[in-house]
Amino acid sequence: MRQYLAVVGLALMASTAAAGVAIGDKLEPFALKDATSGKDVDLKSAAGQKATVLMFIATQCPVSNDYNERMASLAKDYSGKGVAFVGINSNKQEAADEVAAHAKEHGFSFPVLKDPDNVKADQFGARVTPEVYVYDTDWKLRYHGRIDDKRAVSEVSSKDLSAALDAVLTGKEVAVAETKAFGCTIKRVTK
Amino acid sequence: MIPILLAASLLAGDVDAQGLHRAVKAQKGRAVVVNFWATWCEPCVKEFPDFVALAKDRKDIAVISVTIDEASDRGAVEDFLKKQKPTFPVYLKASGSDEAFINGVDPKWSGAVPLTMVYGADGKRLLFEEREISRKEIEAALGKK
Repeated sequence: MRQYLAVVGLALMASTAAAGVAIGDKLEPFALKDATSGKDVDLKSAAGQKATVLMFIATQCPVSNDYNERMASLAKDYSGKGVAFVGINSNKQEAADEVAAHAKEHGFSFPVLKDPDNVKADQFGARVTPEVYVYDTDWKLRYHGRIDDKRAVSEVSSKDLSAALDAVLTGKEVAVAETKAFGCTIKRVTK
Repeated sequence: MIPILLAASLLAGDVDAQGLHRAVKAQKGRAVVVNFWATWCEPCVKEFPDFVALAKDRKDIAVISVTIDEASDRGAVEDFLKKQKPTFPVYLKASGSDEAFINGVDPKWSGAVPLTMVYGADGKRLLFEEREISRKEIEAALGKK
């Protein structure tokens, strides 16, 4: 029986791992290379005083690209409020130099880290671009999902990332902690 | 006659998640391949001809195609279909909440495209893949003809 429970336990752990991170999960801050400088960026030093937003983004995905201006503007708007933004590019076909050029072209004030072999995308269970994760100062996941609900700015009716950040900054629970939107698949390496 | 055939290959109409489930169930007794795509999605556009060829060669398989393009992109969708000439119905995702559509299709779906779901003739789902897929993989999942 004990052996059976151990097997079931392992199976459950495996299925949780495959599903990625969940709301409330704690993140062990990690380091990845900044696509622009080529230097390691440790999330511990890149973190905001009150919250950190990790964004899985792309250079070639039309949906992610529709959010370039919104990402740049959100990062700027919230930088004075103690929120840091960090981009992560896990797409196998988008090399670091392309990621760096894209970040420069779109005026990103935040670092974009290259995730070789989509190791972090797998760890998070990130599947689409853009897809964001909001962490508080204890590195607890408070929000996961879309930036807002429509690609076309004029059709947006729910600014989910802003709402989540505003809740975290005012010490409130995030009312809608998980959301979804259409996007591009993260192009992974075959493992 | 040709213009009529071409017209028949264009959009079959709008569909919501419930309508899609009904369309799949209506194919009872046949294997069904459901593909979600968009004109802006490079891997979707790349794999589309595989679905066209599959539907032409395998009459025992029903292909249902759903584009998640916005209604405002209908022109681009129709231009694409004119070139591809699919023999299967291609639906446009009904207007409304994208999230409700995604979860209505399957809560497991992240919202990424392409997504392909393959059902056996017994209605059992055999594949759920959020990535570019090949005809070979679909036919392998369905087994021998």
